[in-house]
Amino acid sequence: MAISNDKDFKSALASLSTAQQRQVAARFVQRVFPLSNDARIKSALDAAGRADIADAELALASQAANTARVESFTRCGRETDWNAQAGHFVAKAAVACVKPAEAGDNLAWDAAMQARMARTCQTVAEGSGTDNREAEEQYRILDAFLNS
Amino acid sequence: MSASLEKGIRVLKEVIDAPIASYFNSCVHCGLCAEACLFYTETGDPKYTPIHKLEPLRRVYEQEYTLLGRLKKMVGLSKPVTDGELDQWQELVYNSCTLCGRCSAVCPVGNDIVYMVRKFREGMSASGHAPEGIKGAVNRTVTIGSPMGVKLPAVKAQMKHVEEDYGLPIPLDAEGAEYMVMLSSMEIINFPEYLGAIAKIMHQAGKSWTLCSTAFEATNAGMQIGNSDLAGLLVARIVEGAEKLKVKTVISPECGHAYTALRWEGANLIGRPFSFEVKHIIEVLGEFQQQGLLKTEGFETDKLTFHDPCQLARRGGVIQQQRSLMNQVAKNFVEMPDAGYMNWCCGGGGGASAIEEGEPLRLEAFKKKKAQLDAVKPDRLVTACANCRIVLEEGLEHYQMDIPVIGLTEMIAEHIPQKGA
Repeated sequence: MAISNDKDFKSALASLSTAQQRQVAARFVQRVFPLSNDARIKSALDAAGRADIADAELALASQAANTARVESFTRCGRETDWNAQAGHFVAKAAVACVKPAEAGDNLAWDAAMQARMARTCQTVAEGSGTDNREAEEQYRILDAFLNS
Repeated sequence: MSASLEKGIRVLKEVIDAPIASYFNSCVHCGLCAEACLFYTETGDPKYTPIHKLEPLRRVYEQEYTLLGRLKKMVGLSKPVTDGELDQWQELVYNSCTLCGRCSAVCPVGNDIVYMVRKFREGMSASGHAPEGIKGAVNRTVTIGSPMGVKLPAVKAQMKHVEEDYGLPIPLDAEGAEYMVMLSSMEIINFPEYLGAIAKIMHQAGKSWTLCSTAFEATNAGMQIGNSDLAGLLVARIVEGAEKLKVKTVISPECGHAYTALRWEGANLIGRPFSFEVKHIIEVLGEFQQQGLLKTEGFETDKLTFHDPCQLARRGGVIQQQRSLMNQVAKNFVEMPDAGYMNWCCGGGGGASAIEEGEPLRLEAFKKKKAQLDAVKPDRLVTACANCRIVLEEGLEHYQMDIPVIGLTEMIAEHIPQKGA
């Protein structure tokens, strides 16, 4: 049965192995990647999407993505550029894809939430309201992943 | 003399009150304030000695309010304060002062140097010598209502996102709620998880709370630039919102100077007492803990340390609560040297992080924090200020120190059992 709500979505993600979580998380973030276009994030997503990734490669990707995240913070008192902020949340989502995992972590859920935040920032920037279909697209991606 | 300089000097004359006069007269030139300032200790440059940062103000005091100074001025023996000089002092009064209060804490004669710097900023601001970064924040505060240009639709978008992520409602304009929760721009923009943590904690504690659509922003740019009128206006906006919603307590967010502006100076800024209490979120969590309303499960087992935000610990006196909270969820909590009341600033408070050209100096000053961290080598760093958090992350990144930074409120919320949420 197709996933159609966050409860089932979160639960399905939690049941995946860490490697699978990274792979599906990378697909969520790929959708919002154009809001950033940072090469370090692309590398992180490529790394997360590979089933045969070595820990050392993952650590390097994680470090680079984290640098992109820190560099893209909106500093206190600066004017908010919501497009740039969308890029920050893309970086944050990418970090979730490649960060070292601990027991109980739901990396894919974290990545999904940050990707949604990136999309929300884009809609704030456009001034077109904040409704978007990112959640539904993520359900569709997960369905496809589970059925592949 | 330009019109702006004339205005600035007039303001400087006005802000020199009895405490400032006595502070200038009491200074024994011991230099202890220099050793307390991270901009001096990390650069070794004597121009960063806190009391020296006030030299133009001291000269105005001497020339206007002392007999000898007036005589010297009359016969042309004293140097008038000029635009060029104030321009030069901008770096000393804004970029290299975070209003952290360490200098005031060590002064053997009790001079509150931070108080003096803030008064000096009033004149600097009036004469047009505030940094562009802070001026921009002030302009946005006046025109949009938020120093970072955050409007209500963006807050509502974040509320919606957090409701999805945490599965809990975020109340807005709920009249009669016990707590009105304020947010800093930084939390709205960078750390939506803070709001989620609040929702989780309040839900478990069984407390009613709300955001206010006309007063969600806690940040006070008026205080940072040195404009008491604006600072008062921003406090009045919060007071109006809190009184309209009839809340009992307003919670200041994880933002240092917002807490000082509202909690310690707010009533004086608007000229009347509040009809509600003001507490920092850490104080509220401390109360919940004492009342048994904060039930957590599990522990962080890696080595954690805590960075005390200056306005919370030193200026606000909130020191034990955060330690008690840390110990509730952390097995291996270690203290940095000088932690607590005498903790060293992150280097970005008091508006300094909004000054782009001040970044190289901030990173130089960060060596003090690096030394504190090197002494205990933590796995992660916890703090309770959104601005500290970003400044710390920037510094750690610059010095290639792999130490994740997390907010205390969020860490506590992560230990609240799901069934309670």
